[in-house]
Amino acid sequence: MYDRSIPFGATIKWMKKETRDTWTYALRINDREIKKSYCFQPGQFNMLSLPGIGEAAISISSHAADHDLLHTLKVAGDVTTAISKMRAGDVIGVRGPFGRGWPMEEADNKNVIIIAGGVGIAPLRSVMRHLAARHRDRSGKVMIYYGAKTPKDIVYRDEFPRYRDMFSVFLAVDKADPEEYWKGEVGLVTRLLAKTSFDPLGTTVFICGPEVMMRATISDLLIRGVPGEKIYLSMERHMNCGMGICGHCFFGPKFVCKDGPVFRYADIADFLGLREV
Amino acid sequence: MKRVKIIKEDLKTIFEALAQRYRTIGPKLVHGTVVMAESSFEDIPAGYEDRQGPGSYRLEKKETEEIFSFSPGADSFKKYLCPSSVTSFSFQKSAKGFVVDVPEREGMPLAFIGSRACDLAALSLLDQVFLDGPVRDQGYEGRRKSIFIVSVNCNHPSENCFCDAMGTGPYAKEGFDLCITEIRNWLLVEAGSVEGEKVLEILPHREIDAGDLDEKRIVIARCREMIKKSMKTEDLPGVIYRNLEHPRWTEIAGKDLECGNCTMVCPTCFCNSSYDVLSLRTVSSNLRDFSGVRRRTWDSCFSKNFARVHGGNFRPSRRARYRHWMTHKLAYWIEQFGSPGCVGCGRCITWCPVGIDITHELEELRRVR
Ligand SMILES: Cc1cc2nc3c(=O)[nH]c(=O)nc-3n(C[C@H](O)[C@H](O)[C@H](O)COP(=O)(O)OP(=O)(O)OC[C@H]3O[C@@H](n4cnc5c(N)ncnc54)[C@H](O)[C@@H]3O)c2cc1C
Ligand code: SF4
Repeated sequence: MYDRSIPFGATIKWMKKETRDTWTYALRINDREIKKSYCFQPGQFNMLSLPGIGEAAISISSHAADHDLLHTLKVAGDVTTAISKMRAGDVIGVRGPFGRGWPMEEADNKNVIIIAGGVGIAPLRSVMRHLAARHRDRSGKVMIYYGAKTPKDIVYRDEFPRYRDMFSVFLAVDKADPEEYWKGEVGLVTRLLAKTSFDPLGTTVFICGPEVMMRATISDLLIRGVPGEKIYLSMERHMNCGMGICGHCFFGPKFVCKDGPVFRYADIADFLGLREV
Repeated sequence: MKRVKIIKEDLKTIFEALAQRYRTIGPKLVHGTVVMAESSFEDIPAGYEDRQGPGSYRLEKKETEEIFSFSPGADSFKKYLCPSSVTSFSFQKSAKGFVVDVPEREGMPLAFIGSRACDLAALSLLDQVFLDGPVRDQGYEGRRKSIFIVSVNCNHPSENCFCDAMGTGPYAKEGFDLCITEIRNWLLVEAGSVEGEKVLEILPHREIDAGDLDEKRIVIARCREMIKKSMKTEDLPGVIYRNLEHPRWTEIAGKDLECGNCTMVCPTCFCNSSYDVLSLRTVSSNLRDFSGVRRRTWDSCFSKNFARVHGGNFRPSRRARYRHWMTHKLAYWIEQFGSPGCVGCGRCITWCPVGIDITHELEELRRVR
């Protein structure tokens, strides 16, 4: 196994503009040995870096069988801005994969609800791709709830028609765009959830989005009778090393980088409502 | 394992034997404090006694034949095993990408002489952090791997020591290659490893008898009696979790300077930050070809931006940052690694410029208001 504290090079094969501030990058690992031994679980992340600029934690959005590693990132600050200026053929530094991903065994042949907000869809895309690849052989319903600011902010918008063929897909925007026809919901994701019915005891829920959105959604789910043991969420904290030795990412007693980023709600419920832990 | 009795002068022989194969790191007097430094037998500040208090440290020379008359200063294993600044790798960037070069481990391994029981306990906690996670820290592993430890059982605890309460001292049970107990004019030396036994072989020594072991017990019991500070560990971590909104946190924040000294001197505080440092030439020339290093330095959860992310800071207040530190030591650590992250060395009390005392603060938290 290569040393995950040292970045390796990966070449941008192609890139795709998702929204005005979000891009998807397909990366191919340059070193053949590393490429062979690199394997990840949906929900894990890489530290993407540019020498001299810094590193940023970015989820892996591809399916394990895909040829390239996909990363979808929203331009935020130094690193993400610098990456957004790169072009196909440029080389990015990668460390990873890190963290514990989604418990895919809890999704196999079960009803699954996926709830995402904004760029929080990124770590869930690999779950969706995984479930889509097994669509024919699996039993259990898949429901996807996704909320974005406006229709123009929907990440992976071109992929949703395909998911619609297999899964129940519900999209919501905070604000519809007057210039565009929008037949979906206007409002919060929680509103979508309230309008649909599902079997609260027989469903596994995966959530990723802004923390306020996740908290609101979880409280609705609990009221609907979904047990806290069946709700999983992906947390975000300051990442520096990615491997449990720098102390930056603590969420209560948890290292988000190695115990998470995906947590079972019941395991972190005590800390989720607390301020400044 | 072998246990022998030697005369004090033969401690010099131990130093010299180890110096053949190791850089010997021992206690040394620098600017009026005991530090850990590359040193020899003659450097030991024998006969010095320290007075420690909240935010205070003074050394005094005493009329005594004792060698280990002092307790440890601010330094601990982490100074050498996870140094305050290390280069993880260097990189060379060009238009085609970048090349990374990991520095070779250089030099002789280290022998630590004079480590105390609390320090050994702290070392085993650092081992858990850096070696038992999903990714082993190879830099730490390389520095840690071939060290030799000569520990010393304490005769003179400082006013801030509370190792007895934490179950880590004042005498070492394991984790050393050799362990010394100073008893009047001789030293009881116990081996804790095969390497340690080999060193004992070359020393002129006498085998010990039951009476000698009794003497060791007396020394330890006397030391225990001298330890005045304590920490009530019952009900940890619960007592902290139940008091996360206790008014005391705000009061501490009113005193706290956020200098981070406590985290620098704590032998178990491991937090760090990595960042790229570019060579000077790079900054002045073009932006496509440049070189630099990834440096990792100690950081502290007291740093304002420690938990900052784009668009916010998870611990913006000083109250939250102090609470986080103490909660990590006495509560989170138990969940993360199975025991408190505090070994009772008292360093954070001594080296805190405003004398915040973690044992006292825990008592305050227990007070219902
Ligand atoms: C597990 C995980 C997965 C993520 N996945 C994605 C993803 O798939 N797509 C995406 O767009 N974003 C994702 N993020 C958020 C992303 O990491 C931040 O947007 C990014 O770090 C911002 O870096 P920057 O240099 O561009 O911003 P700046 O504002 O320049 O830097 C932010 C500052 O905060 C620090 N920082 C450390 N960790 C974070 C953090 N988690 N968020 C923000 N700042 C941080 C940086 O070191 C820097 O000091 C993820 C975060 C985590 C923790
Ligand atoms: S918190 Fe204070 S007493 Fe505890 S180990 Fe750190 S320095 Fe020592």
